[in-house]
Amino acid sequence: MRQERKADFLASLAQRRRTLAKGWYKYSRNPLSVLGLVVLVLIGLAAALAPHITPYPAQAGAYTDFQNAGKPPSFEHFFGTDRIGRDVFTRVVFGYRFSLLLGIVVLGLGVAPGVVLGLIAGYHRGTWVEAVIMRTTDVFLAVPPLVLALAITAMLTPNLLNEMFAIALLWWPWYCRLVFAVSSSLRSQFFVREAELSGASEAHILFREMLPNCLAPILTKMTLDMGIVILLGASLSFIGLGAQPPTPCLGTMVADGAKRLPGEWWGTIFPALAIVIVILAFNLVGDGLRDVFAVEEV
Amino acid sequence: MALLEAKDLHVGYRTFEGYLHVLNGVKIEVDEGERVGLVGETGCGKTTTVKTILRVLPMPPAQVQGGEILYRGEDVLRMSARAVRDLRRREITAIFQDPLQALNPMFTVGTQLRDILKDSMGGRDGGRLTKRDIEKRCIVALQETGMPDPERIMTNYPSQLSGGMRQRVCIAEALSREARLLLADEPTTNLDVTIQDQILRKLDELVDEKGTSVLMITHSMGVVRDLTQRLYVMYAGSMVETARTKELLACPRHPYTQGLMKSVPRLTGEGISEGIPGRIPNYLEPPSGCRFHPRCEHVMPVCKEAIPPFYAVDEDHFAACYLYRS
Amino acid sequence: MPESILSVEHLKKHFPTKQGLVRAIDDITFSVAPGDTLGLVGESGSGKTTTAQCVVGMYPPTSGEIRFKEEQIGTAFKRRPKYVKGDLRIVFQDPGSSLNPKRTIKQILSIPLKVHHIGTQHDRLARMKELLNMVELPADEYLYKYPQAIGGGEKQMVALARALATNPSFVLLDEPTSALDVSVQGKIINLLIRLQRELNLTYLFITHDLSLMRNVSSRVAIMYLGKLCEIAPTVEFFERPIHPYTKMLLSSIPVVSDAEEALKPRKAISKGEIPSPVNIPPGCSFHSRCLARNGRCAEDDPAMVEVAEGHFVRCHAALESELSGHGAA
Repeated sequence: MRQERKADFLASLAQRRRTLAKGWYKYSRNPLSVLGLVVLVLIGLAAALAPHITPYPAQAGAYTDFQNAGKPPSFEHFFGTDRIGRDVFTRVVFGYRFSLLLGIVVLGLGVAPGVVLGLIAGYHRGTWVEAVIMRTTDVFLAVPPLVLALAITAMLTPNLLNEMFAIALLWWPWYCRLVFAVSSSLRSQFFVREAELSGASEAHILFREMLPNCLAPILTKMTLDMGIVILLGASLSFIGLGAQPPTPCLGTMVADGAKRLPGEWWGTIFPALAIVIVILAFNLVGDGLRDVFAVEEV
Repeated sequence: MALLEAKDLHVGYRTFEGYLHVLNGVKIEVDEGERVGLVGETGCGKTTTVKTILRVLPMPPAQVQGGEILYRGEDVLRMSARAVRDLRRREITAIFQDPLQALNPMFTVGTQLRDILKDSMGGRDGGRLTKRDIEKRCIVALQETGMPDPERIMTNYPSQLSGGMRQRVCIAEALSREARLLLADEPTTNLDVTIQDQILRKLDELVDEKGTSVLMITHSMGVVRDLTQRLYVMYAGSMVETARTKELLACPRHPYTQGLMKSVPRLTGEGISEGIPGRIPNYLEPPSGCRFHPRCEHVMPVCKEAIPPFYAVDEDHFAACYLYRS
Repeated sequence: MPESILSVEHLKKHFPTKQGLVRAIDDITFSVAPGDTLGLVGESGSGKTTTAQCVVGMYPPTSGEIRFKEEQIGTAFKRRPKYVKGDLRIVFQDPGSSLNPKRTIKQILSIPLKVHHIGTQHDRLARMKELLNMVELPADEYLYKYPQAIGGGEKQMVALARALATNPSFVLLDEPTSALDVSVQGKIINLLIRLQRELNLTYLFITHDLSLMRNVSSRVAIMYLGKLCEIAPTVEFFERPIHPYTKMLLSSIPVVSDAEEALKPRKAISKGEIPSPVNIPPGCSFHSRCLARNGRCAEDDPAMVEVAEGHFVRCHAALESELSGHGAA
């Protein structure tokens, strides 16, 4: 008996490995996607190990050294120093930490409720349940995102936490709508009907039958969204409504440095480039994921 | 000279798992005015064959490894893109299985028919046709397919029509081009039986009148029986038997065709045979020699060595099987 | 009358739609004896699939009764007792969409077992292997595959295994082989027949392929626009068809031999389009295409009458000629 269970476990594992291998094959067809992934991994590692790999970790936050202020890029300071003497390179790497954290938290908070609501709405398509959920979604989508985020952060004290909360609130409707589209078409598929007719519970149908079929657009959208969330976070901090100084936030850095353009360009350009690169990397990964999930046509 | 002649066609697809060697030396011939049927089951390569003839195969995964397709002596596979487009415009026309996919849901039937007529006529006659001429030709084309009330149908959208009517529109589109060769890929599979019967009879009439050659692809033996004069049976990427239709259906000689004919349920109620044991081969590692040999009850050592050529079994009846080697 | 395992009486199912009321099923009555195979035949709009769906509980009937093993089950599946859901099972038409593409076969088969609490975790694995063996699929290989990796015929066999997982007594087969090749069809049909004998199953077999029906069912019922036109034992149905629609359908079958061609009714060539179920013609719904129609047909809807042992027809003209002793029109 135990033999059988073991064989069963190994066989399931083997199948899972095969699926991943096939996914990687499709993903790696496009060299740009692989590049995006590499860049993302590097940025992720750098962000995680920030205190250990940056030359001046202490300069990331509250620190002043007016003697060294405004120095251009050099061997000691790769990206130069900002107007109060902090190493820009170190701040950028720490800035990545916050940006990525923002992205992960926002998506973590926003995606799950959106997905669940979308599944429920799609399953109960045509009833009042769907109507309530989707009309609420419509209301949220009707407000311009930046304006809503501004309003919320302005109401509460501007800090990183509230910034994340505000953006997360904006995000769930998109996932609700996306999942609703997929799940309402899945609703009439025979395998869903079959599960119902067998007597399976609604929870089973939502999460075991329908959700796996929605994962493809959800994951693709999540990677593309990371870029947008980071940009939104940077925009909010650019206008001063996000993480407050001295927290190293890429958007704030761009704002501060902007006053000194074009003379001391390194204070703005490097953080700005950092933002561009991370967003580009996420987009490339998102494209690659889309290729992985694309249905083959033969 | 045959109108269409495919010789030794080898086509495959490159995928994650490897290279799928699908078409394995396909040869087929359609003469002027002749009606030929191509019968085979799912995965035998018949749609790949049609797509290769029309040169609409998605080329990155698909690869043509060898062979030629001669249309009136010229090799379609080596023609320029423009020449192929001309071919599709004037010489070869096609009807497919799902009329809902073949017709554009955004435009009325009339708009689509007129467009096609203008496109196919443009330049050939020399003279330009007036709007009224085009309109009249469209109506005539619809009438010929047995469509009731063609004027009203011209103003309908495809979604407003029934399956049978949509297919009639597709037939009108195809035949209005006055093409020499009609490729029909499972044209009536999605239709109800009584409608299928009407449409096949109509197609029969029209093709007869215009003298069009037909290559009809289907998995239903009954459908080809009345419509075609000659039949090819295809299995796993190559032709296994060809003969005059009624003769092939009555006296199949290739073991695969025999198995197939035994599996067809009969109205006379003889019960249903067990089908053919085994599965269609995996194109990644197809069997050597004759691809049917793993499933054949008459298999001999030579079958595994090389793919058998067509041997004459009877007058105008050929089977690709070593059983008939002498 | 032999006891019936399933009986349907005056069943009606109407769907209100934007274009009007669709009378998918419009008063049908039939029954199936245990161990039998009742074949249900019809074209688009006939209501045969809706009938299967009502019987299995996808929709509650608009009116009428459905009795399974003497028990009233004419409600949607939510209200049905659980054991009925395990006893009355269905195999759907499209193998492509009846199996969840993101689940392995093992996961797919485990659903009915889990839901109906069949066996413990240990037993279930054994039961799944047993089911796959029953449908002649190598269990160890197939349990871990995804539906995309197997062929259409094999998918249907998995769907059948899934239907049999709960040891049902009645299985509805909605066009089980329509999407499959003829060489695979034979295997599945023979499997169905064998399992019927071994497991004492009753089938309601729906198909549009009359040649298949001839070899599979013990009785045949033909539907047109929501109503039954004719029911008869199989041989009788094919050799002495009475209803004009039956004859039209039989004459349209594509056959492969002269012997079969000879069996087809001669003068019943198909004509006309099938009306939309929103616009059903008055009187007898078939009259607009019927070659045998008379004055009454456009006004009165005929009733079902037994013209011979077990042979029921619903047609004015046919009845008149039967009564007057002539053969069918």
